Amino acid sequence: MKACSVEDCFAPDTTCAHGHLSLKDCPNWTSQEKIDSKSSDEGTEIVLPWSGSALGRTDLSFVTGRRTPMMIGILGPENAGKTSLLAAWYLLIGRGANIGNRHTFSGSFTLSGWEAVARSMQWTPGTPPEFPAHTSTRGVRGQGLLHLAFREDGNRLRDYLFTDAPGLWFQRWAINEQAPDAKGARWIVDNADAFILTADCAALAGDDKGSARAAIQLLARRLGANRRGRPVTLVWTKSDITVAESMKFSVRDAVSSQVPGFEEMTVSMQAPADDSHGQGTGLTALLKHTLQIRRLKQVLSPSHVNATDALFLFGAR
Amino acid sequence: MTQVLAQSMLLVGESGVGKTHYGAQLLKRLLNSKGRFRMDGAASNLEPFEATMESLNNGRSAAHTPTSTYVDSEWPISNKKGLTFTLVWPDYGGEQIKKLLATRKIPSTWRARVENSSAWMLMLRLQQLRVSDDLLSKPLARLAEEEAADPPSDEPIQPSDQARMIELLQILLYLRGKGVGDATNIPQLCLLLSCWDELGQSDPPEEVLKRQLPMLSDFITSNWKHPIILGLSALERPLDKSVPDEEYVTRGPEHFGYIVLPDASTTQDLTYPLTALLDPSEENS
Repeated sequence: MKACSVEDCFAPDTTCAHGHLSLKDCPNWTSQEKIDSKSSDEGTEIVLPWSGSALGRTDLSFVTGRRTPMMIGILGPENAGKTSLLAAWYLLIGRGANIGNRHTFSGSFTLSGWEAVARSMQWTPGTPPEFPAHTSTRGVRGQGLLHLAFREDGNRLRDYLFTDAPGLWFQRWAINEQAPDAKGARWIVDNADAFILTADCAALAGDDKGSARAAIQLLARRLGANRRGRPVTLVWTKSDITVAESMKFSVRDAVSSQVPGFEEMTVSMQAPADDSHGQGTGLTALLKHTLQIRRLKQVLSPSHVNATDALFLFGAR
Repeated sequence: MTQVLAQSMLLVGESGVGKTHYGAQLLKRLLNSKGRFRMDGAASNLEPFEATMESLNNGRSAAHTPTSTYVDSEWPISNKKGLTFTLVWPDYGGEQIKKLLATRKIPSTWRARVENSSAWMLMLRLQQLRVSDDLLSKPLARLAEEEAADPPSDEPIQPSDQARMIELLQILLYLRGKGVGDATNIPQLCLLLSCWDELGQSDPPEEVLKRQLPMLSDFITSNWKHPIILGLSALERPLDKSVPDEEYVTRGPEHFGYIVLPDASTTQDLTYPLTALLDPSEENS
């Protein structure tokens, strides 16, 4: 339940959307206060503009304010390992995994969100960890964007946002682009700068492999139609499970026909038998790859000038 | 002509990192003119450290600082070059930091402190902070080999130690109005890894930090151009609350305690972090 009547204001959870450091100064808030009388000393405290949890659409403006972040949309059917991938990245950064000298972790405004995602993969004494729990479709803020900042080459700072959304959204969207329960998926596809499309090896080798194949083909088709030239990486998750070559071929074929020029990577939480670093397989490589993706350059159409006045000819070709 | 610079130190540390012990030992060094800096006049208020200094004189460790306390003590200090500073050294219960992180509401007093401070000193006790094992570092296959030693705890989920410290620094940077990313124009940061004697490490402090808390280490090196990372053992050995340490009693607490320099060598001069923060040119002399 929102306390403030202003649409985009989530005070007192975050700072006042109209910029009042003290809520007492905000005309919208004081009118509310008559209803809620217990907030007497809130005026002397500053509320932080970020809550630490995964960012919602309104919260975004705090991060996007300093520079445009790269938004990576992670797409895939339910249980394909999207959230596990994020959790693994966070844990690897937390343990100082080598993601190359070019990028140094430089902060995150969604640390609690990352922690929540990684929680179920962490060991607490006596309890075996599991892969992250299902991302629920309920809750408006549930969609969540997770933020990471990296300093590149010790110089420039880059912000990244990773979407953490339930697979059901994408399944609905693949079937019906205008489905009301695919609103979140449409938002991600509209706004992301690059995509990671997950193909679940466990599902493609399991009992329902036929429908798993169909689901990813359908999703690739829909993504292809909405791609607008943005980079797509096909990621085989849970790659410790062997998938029949013919099955891999048909998925790859479907993706390449819809999303030409895609890249392909393989990840697994299981490390190769001879590896003792405990970094899984391909996870750091995929993170490195993702951090190097660049936004498409916009090409402005050249200006054609017919005038003879030198002022209007400036810069024309 | 002597130049008087008012330097307010923002000392940040959770409870149990040894803020008061260090304050008391630093004060003793300044009063005895043992280090690079010495007390140049009388401090405004020594009350917060009185009880602690008394305990240390008797070879005992001091009691915990109450949560609600926050006392600023002004120390006029000068170094050999004649540079004079007014050092504002605070003493408070570390739970205030915990509360700040838990409620995510910053009292205006804290905001003013962050805004007006010229240098930040963050004290960490590495024994209190760790990175848990996870599915990647300890795969499921190995679970069978190591049967659960401890019963599952019912404790509520806490953010990991690294995330908590990073969030704390991000909040300080935000209050400073700089956000993360502006490496210029932010106060110099000195990281003190306290209770160094308990760690049993002989490597440089920076490497120890990188090994134990890699994400925090990355965050600091990425946002501060030249952070100062030192080890600190304010007491040199653990003291008991009730049983006095005889050597402490006879030799005096000012003969104990050391700083571990970036090259892993040690110095008895507990005022070294002040030199590094206030007058960096002096650092190597």
